[in-house]
Amino acid sequence: MSWAGPEDIYLSTSLASYLDKKLLVLLRDGRKLMGTLRSFDQFANAVLEGACERVIVGDLYCDIPLGLYVIRGENVVLIGELDLEREELPEHMTRVSTAEIKRAQKVEREASDLKGTMRKRMEFLDFD
Amino acid sequence: MATEEESAVKEPLDLIRLSLDERIYVKLRSDRELRGKLHAYDQHLNMILGDVEEVVTTVEIDDETYEEIVRTTKRTVPFLFVRGDGVILVSPPLRTA
Amino acid sequence: MSGKFIHYFDLLDVYVRSSVDVAAFGFPSPQLRFFSLRANMLFFSYFKDLVGREVTVELKNDLAIRGTLHSVDQYLNIKLENTRVVDQDKYPHMLSVRNCFIRGSVVRYVQLPPEGVDIELLHDATRREARGG
Repeated sequence: MSWAGPEDIYLSTSLASYLDKKLLVLLRDGRKLMGTLRSFDQFANAVLEGACERVIVGDLYCDIPLGLYVIRGENVVLIGELDLEREELPEHMTRVSTAEIKRAQKVEREASDLKGTMRKRMEFLDFD
Repeated sequence: MATEEESAVKEPLDLIRLSLDERIYVKLRSDRELRGKLHAYDQHLNMILGDVEEVVTTVEIDDETYEEIVRTTKRTVPFLFVRGDGVILVSPPLRTA
Repeated sequence: MSGKFIHYFDLLDVYVRSSVDVAAFGFPSPQLRFFSLRANMLFFSYFKDLVGREVTVELKNDLAIRGTLHSVDQYLNIKLENTRVVDQDKYPHMLSVRNCFIRGSVVRYVQLPPEGVDIELLHDATRREARGG
């Protein structure tokens, strides 16, 4: 049906070896998805089955289940094969509930927002 | 050795061709600057530079005073491939007469 | 060195010929295809030659990954093996990643092994590409 050039095969070879494996997908907005790769194409569009988002805030983490995801390739930064023999995360990290991680995320976001607004409020003083 | 065809400057990238094997200055996105010897480039401005010095400028906000602190970080890399989509400008070496 | 020299231009030739095959298959725009195949050839060929070497790939999100170059494609997507993240503490989620695929568009730099850079070869290939492109 479609003709694959020699270079397309090169790319297929690339992600083909990750099919049906458990993967970590880093997205451009910094989010981390995990799941099993079921399909992909030359743009690195990818179908992840049993996807979940791994949220990390400091030493806390949580895997929020998402289901079946089709990811648009241009948002993909990296696709990593998870070595099931190894620890997924350092020992000092603690798994918490979805509610708890969302709370921690909010606190973190507010802290960085505060820094921005404080700077803005003091700008009229013109330090320089 | 250089033929007339090779030394003629007809389009912007011809200036870069003339900078091959010379030290150039490259300004990149996200406040990065490179200085290095140009070994290879293509039409996307992908490049390979040698003896590269990278300068990164960062602005931090002080936790106490909320003042902006401008920092520059320098490092050197023997050989670096630079992806062209991050390039803002390339400046050929200054030829002093 | 001269052996390697021939190798690069053989590659170019193969790709020019493969575009003729594309025309035979009735690709809508063989001319366009011809040029897009030639585009990026220099660094694609260069990175293919580097397969098996240790490189450090620095991404636009500041993540830096060191590993053995496993493969590369015409978009300069990169596959690394035996990877380790340079700043592991900052990226704990990368701990169990040993092999990875990096989308070419997110790469900022690739630090190259000094022994993997043949300067004369690069100059010749660059001049050749500048003339053809």
